[in-house]
Amino acid sequence: VQQVKRVIGAIIVLGIAAVLIFGPRSEAPPVEGRVVVEYWEKWTSKEGQQMMEVVDDFNQTVGAEKGIYVRYLSMSSINQKTLVSTAAGVPPDVAGLWDHQVPQFAAADALMPLDQMAKPYGITDGYYKKVYWDSCHYRGKLYALVSTPATVALLYNKEYFEERADRLKAAGLDPNRTPQTLQELDRYAEALDDVEKLPNGSMNIKSMGYVPLEPGWWLALTGLWFGTENYDAATDTLQLDNPKMVEAFTWIQSYATRLGNNAKISEFRSGFGTFNSTQNPFLVGQVAMVQQGPWMANYIENLKPSWNRWRVPPEKLEVERKSAEVREGMSLAEVKGLLGEPKEMQEAAGTTRGTWDAGIKTVTVEFAGDKVKTKSAALLPAVDRRKYCQWGVAPFPSAVPGLKDVTFGAFDTMVIPKGSKHPKEAFEFIAYVNRQDVMEKLCGMHCKNSPLTKVSKEFIANHPNPYIEIFDELARSPNAHGVQQVSVWPIVSDEMNNAASGVFQLLATPQEALHTAQIRSANGYDHFREVETKRKGESK
Amino acid sequence: VTSKDRQDLFKGLAFCSPWIIGLCVFTLLPLILSLYYSFCDYSLLQDPVWIGTQNYRDIAHDELFWQALRNTFAYALVALPMGIIISIAMALLLNQNIKGQSFYRTTIFLPSLVPAVASAMLWMWLFNAKLGLINTVLSAIGVNGQISFDWLNNLLHLQGNDAFKALPLPPAWLNDARTAMSALILMSFWGVGNSVVIYLAGLQDVPRELYEAADIDGASGWQRLWNVTLPMISPVIFFNLIMAIIGSLQTFSTPYIMTGGGPYHATYFYTMYLYDKAYVFLQMGYASAMAWIQLFIVLILTALAFWTSRRWVHYQGK
Repeated sequence: VQQVKRVIGAIIVLGIAAVLIFGPRSEAPPVEGRVVVEYWEKWTSKEGQQMMEVVDDFNQTVGAEKGIYVRYLSMSSINQKTLVSTAAGVPPDVAGLWDHQVPQFAAADALMPLDQMAKPYGITDGYYKKVYWDSCHYRGKLYALVSTPATVALLYNKEYFEERADRLKAAGLDPNRTPQTLQELDRYAEALDDVEKLPNGSMNIKSMGYVPLEPGWWLALTGLWFGTENYDAATDTLQLDNPKMVEAFTWIQSYATRLGNNAKISEFRSGFGTFNSTQNPFLVGQVAMVQQGPWMANYIENLKPSWNRWRVPPEKLEVERKSAEVREGMSLAEVKGLLGEPKEMQEAAGTTRGTWDAGIKTVTVEFAGDKVKTKSAALLPAVDRRKYCQWGVAPFPSAVPGLKDVTFGAFDTMVIPKGSKHPKEAFEFIAYVNRQDVMEKLCGMHCKNSPLTKVSKEFIANHPNPYIEIFDELARSPNAHGVQQVSVWPIVSDEMNNAASGVFQLLATPQEALHTAQIRSANGYDHFREVETKRKGESK
Repeated sequence: VTSKDRQDLFKGLAFCSPWIIGLCVFTLLPLILSLYYSFCDYSLLQDPVWIGTQNYRDIAHDELFWQALRNTFAYALVALPMGIIISIAMALLLNQNIKGQSFYRTTIFLPSLVPAVASAMLWMWLFNAKLGLINTVLSAIGVNGQISFDWLNNLLHLQGNDAFKALPLPPAWLNDARTAMSALILMSFWGVGNSVVIYLAGLQDVPRELYEAADIDGASGWQRLWNVTLPMISPVIFFNLIMAIIGSLQTFSTPYIMTGGGPYHATYFYTMYLYDKAYVFLQMGYASAMAWIQLFIVLILTALAFWTSRRWVHYQGK
């Protein structure tokens, strides 16, 4: 028995020793002597890698100069992880939250005000577009800065419009332009519906001009296009069931009843693929018009690149395809054999540079002697690319006469949670991301517009979204609205989306659904204010 | 107490200490704290503020709370007994001495090994109204048109928005507020494999001599099942019932993935609301109060099951 005990004891001791020697250990600072800033971000995959590029740039330049090292950690459910870590007193130094969490976290006193830190970097109200600047505030204090923003617009399928041009003309509509008012959008949608009668008398919806629930990400904000908001800042009250909102939700419901059978629309919608898939209903032509953001250009390039190369002469497409085969060390003759004669050849200081029109790009190959030295490709200027897009962009029309360029200005934020160990260094990084050149690089990669007032011509011309200027102009519009400064916004959003689902399913009238949403949200807000008052009382 | 006893006690406690510390730190302490928080307004981010029984009073008037509770009970009331009946039926079939018995047993058990997220994704496609396998089969066998509820509306004198609307066939399942819950209940039977295995073990324990005695008495197959098999496996049924009560009242991941609680909160379960209150709306105090109410509901139902068990659970040798 003693022997067995000794053996077991030895195994336990060896096990512990093995864990101590070979087990996980805390990571040493990557660069000695630098302050390590922990940065948590929501982006994974490609967007995460692109942000990582910006982090690397910082670490190699400003970070190296000022003794700061940003450690980037990409994660899911960042809001909950930031919440729990902040509550535990070990938050990251920088957290990449969503815009609607700024008022919620700020109201809970979980974020550091950034006003004083931002000023020395020139980040003041004029630096940002108003819609984003206002939404970075809560009760007059700056709590967040933008990492990448967006605006919402109408995206439409040009080919779909062309193929049904006769129908549009018959309805008195111009197939070569987009709807200018919401009433006109309804008429376009109706003319663009493809519905067939089946022998058994029922109908089969093949495609629809428009469905408010596709993708339906901004249903809670439908009131904006009807001239109303969910929250009245002047009276500090929620107004989810005001007459204009009822009008907005009646409009949503009209799409459920338009074809006389909402069950068929439900069935039609259930056939939609997910957003980030080749079965995206807009990309497969199931829906002709959608409410979307600028990032869609990236998804189109990844999921349906032909939509960005519509009617590009086949020979130019062939050059684009074959240009991928050009390798370093190939001879000029070999390159010409692949790509044909170049559009232009320039010679200078022992090098020859040839350029080819390659689809929506210009490919430049530099030769040293007779051999390929470098190859690069640049997108055609945005304006020239638009004619090759099978999709178009326009401001989403409003229901109110004269109310133009209505949009929602959404954005991803960078905040410093309370309890951050290195707020000064954290802000150094946030300020770096907010430099015009860095911001344009990041927004270009993420296929979004810039939040900054100053936007370079190159950013617009070389942006992967050829329509970025429209999104940028929408962000400057006086009718651009950001996240409202309501601490209970998640409740409001949840209730409004539920109300939209109810009216679309014809389970409630818009009045009933919105009244329920108003009661529940207002209860939540009243409760928040009661506790806030109590807290203030206690702190005195 | 001798010094050897004390030494043994110390050694025993030392060996148990990981469990004792774990229980205290990760279960007991959170339990006590959640009871305290249930009487506070607590967002996690700020210190809790004592508000007495306000959370409990608010819950009493919270329509969404009652809807979530109704949904959860509706699910449990159908999924629970149906699940038990299906599991026992499966176990009885798999208990037959037939060729390929192991294969069938494995086949029935396999789905319960599939992770919840993968199952949910699979069933979302099966229930797809346009492209799903279920509706394709239903259409192929002529389940088309609609079910009218005019007779019910006339009977109850319902009109306008109050009236029951005709249900299209084949149904839109998860996309229709009227069928989404049924779809989730149907899906729950996919994972009966675990309880089938437990019932099978119970069936193997039924003494052969009882069946022989029943045969001698001239009992039919049904009488053997009703008077021998079911009473003898009643402790197993009781165990599965308790586990199913707890499980069904905590349903979360499947509806969270498949429907997100919709359409129109038709599949919004109690635990989903609790989660939203805690982590989305940052009302941890309210969520704690909900958790305690949930615990009491489970306790009451379990106590009820124990109380009734005296009449229908039979232990061998008693």
